[in-house]
Amino acid sequence: MEMAASKPMTKIATAPAAAPRRERLGRWRVPLSIAVLCVLPWLLPSKALAVNVLIYGLYAMGYNLLFGYTGLLSFGHAALFGTGAYVTGIAIGQFGTNWFLGMLAGVIAAGLMAAAMGALSTRTRGIYFAMVTLALAQLVYYVALQASSWTGGENGLRGFTVSKVGIGPLSVDFLNPIVKYYVVLAFVALAIWTLSRILNSPFGGVVEAIRENETRAKACGYDVVRTRLLAFVLSGLFCGLAGTLSALHLAIVPLDSLGYMMSGQAVMMTMLGGVGTFFGPFIGALAFLVMEDVLSLWTAHWQLFLGAIFVALVLYMPKGIWGTGLVWFERWRGR
Amino acid sequence: MTQTTKQGLSRRSLIKGTASVAALGVLGAPRIARADEGPIKIGFPVPITGPFGAEAKDQVKSAELAVKQFNAAGGLNGRLAELLVRDDKLNPGEAATRTLELIEKDKAHFIVGALSSAVQLSVNEVTRARGVIYISISQSDTINEAKDFSRFTFHEALNPQMTAGAVARHAFKKGQKVAYLAADYAYGHEMLAAFKRTAAPIGVETVGEVLHPFGAPDYSAFMPRLMSMKADILCICNFGRDQANSIKQAVDFGLKGPSKIVVPVLLHNQRLASSPDVFEGVVGGANYYWGIEDHNASAKTFNDAFRAAYNGAIPTDYGTYGYTAVRSLLMAVKEAGGTDTDKVITALEGLKYDVAKGPQSYRKCDHQSVQSVFVIESKKKSEMKTDADLFKVLATEAGDPATLRSCEQLGHKPS
Repeated sequence: MEMAASKPMTKIATAPAAAPRRERLGRWRVPLSIAVLCVLPWLLPSKALAVNVLIYGLYAMGYNLLFGYTGLLSFGHAALFGTGAYVTGIAIGQFGTNWFLGMLAGVIAAGLMAAAMGALSTRTRGIYFAMVTLALAQLVYYVALQASSWTGGENGLRGFTVSKVGIGPLSVDFLNPIVKYYVVLAFVALAIWTLSRILNSPFGGVVEAIRENETRAKACGYDVVRTRLLAFVLSGLFCGLAGTLSALHLAIVPLDSLGYMMSGQAVMMTMLGGVGTFFGPFIGALAFLVMEDVLSLWTAHWQLFLGAIFVALVLYMPKGIWGTGLVWFERWRGR
Repeated sequence: MTQTTKQGLSRRSLIKGTASVAALGVLGAPRIARADEGPIKIGFPVPITGPFGAEAKDQVKSAELAVKQFNAAGGLNGRLAELLVRDDKLNPGEAATRTLELIEKDKAHFIVGALSSAVQLSVNEVTRARGVIYISISQSDTINEAKDFSRFTFHEALNPQMTAGAVARHAFKKGQKVAYLAADYAYGHEMLAAFKRTAAPIGVETVGEVLHPFGAPDYSAFMPRLMSMKADILCICNFGRDQANSIKQAVDFGLKGPSKIVVPVLLHNQRLASSPDVFEGVVGGANYYWGIEDHNASAKTFNDAFRAAYNGAIPTDYGTYGYTAVRSLLMAVKEAGGTDTDKVITALEGLKYDVAKGPQSYRKCDHQSVQSVFVIESKKKSEMKTDADLFKVLATEAGDPATLRSCEQLGHKPS
């Protein structure tokens, strides 16, 4: 690929003085993120919630690759998450594959779905791109609703509970919440590392160049359409992985996992955490799920409080929790 | 959270904080081993927020009453029961997470709840994998079938076969023409199927069926088609707000005169939300109506206890499911002498209970609660003695396993 050979464009919007420090910190972003995730189940109210944070964090990070880094606002990522989840469930439940092959099938299917959706949508931009992705995702939703002998339709897919996870003679009890958390974390950690490598590669630079100035990127000789498509597929693989993990975690695939609310959640979590920051979407997912969990235990009017908090965050932390935190951190260090 | 970042959270205090939280978690662990001596915990996930919030809140009230009565009577040799209410937001994924939390973190011994076909099936999937008893209080035919059933699965609510069956046997007459309007999701499909299964042997002709999307506010597009079918009976199979909205529009279009409107479940809260004029003459099934207290002693006892606990309020149909399910469970716990899952299952299977509406028992093969079904009709405004005097009971079909689909039809092996 010609773009891989050329140097990435300079990063924009970073204060020049802060750049080396941030880069030094950036080198440690993967081990730091994983270290935080290792202690997460002990900090949250429940293990089931912690697994959800991992899954949705990965989902939002995958989404951020397209939205934050490539600059494409997709409203159809539920189709990728849901495809991963459904295909894993169907592979295990109806074809009797083991958990790993089921996951592999789910991720591959999500990648193919992303390739198909990307091929149809990446030529458009802005609101048209959002609309095309939304329409395609709704298409997938209705297919799943109608094909009820495969997907369980309205009732959701069930009957594929994975109670043991193992390779060869080694196996662990997947129903144990702590074991489940660390198994899921192993996959999420691998995905975080891969994502970091992608973003640090020349390809990651090209993607950001296209986001900042498409015409200039084109003038520099980059194939914009193909780069976008590749970013879409990569994003789809991460979101598909999140979907397969969610299928294994909950042992059901609700039809809602293909719904537009699910697509909206990716946007919401990413914005809440910080668009275009590496770990921001994860923080967004964490904040979203923890607030929802804690508030709904505390009061039946949790939606009111959640809404108020969101409004406050959007008003006073426009770069998201993580993004604004980073800015403050830089300011404090530069003092 | 912003304040600490601004002033700088020292690395040392962060580590200290993390370590102390982790230590707390470890210290908390030994409690788990002695869980058998603590309170009897019943997890109760219901959709407190969302379109079925009113029904869910009634279920919580009734279930809390059952727990209060159990505790007032001394519990299980002094061991008290506790109800852990959780909002499942009418979302299967959320419900599965909440159920996992209830089992793993709160160490709930039993799960009762859910108010949607998809949600109860997802809760059931979580509980049966972990060997936890679950009593569903939402209508479903699917949960009885061998594929979703497990010996940990119990179904206290009526199922579509029972309600639609009872209504059809009462309201359909040989030679009549029936048109169906059904919500296009599991509830509507199951009710429709159950009506047609019962209607066929009666000799009723189906003249058409129209499906509408779940949560549709506007039915005007469907009404002309239904009118053109010239049916004797218009059978509307939907739930919640959909029921009130669709009946109102059928009445506005003048369908109520030429056809009789029949619904599988005539909902207490929807009738309250609408007006007596709109619902007048509509016939449907119910698991409970407070008005049966005139001739049913257990209903009278239940209503009185409910009135005393909630300032004179009366229990509703769906609310009562919460009461009967939790009462039956606690009776079985008493019978079993503890929370041991196998013993409680045996006790539930052998249990005969009559706590609100007449005799009930769980059928052995699919754990469906066999119980009476009431066929009720919405009263005219002039016939209503009080604001709560909503329905007249046309018929009471006593609980009879013969009205259910047989164990073999459901795919259970004959035992």
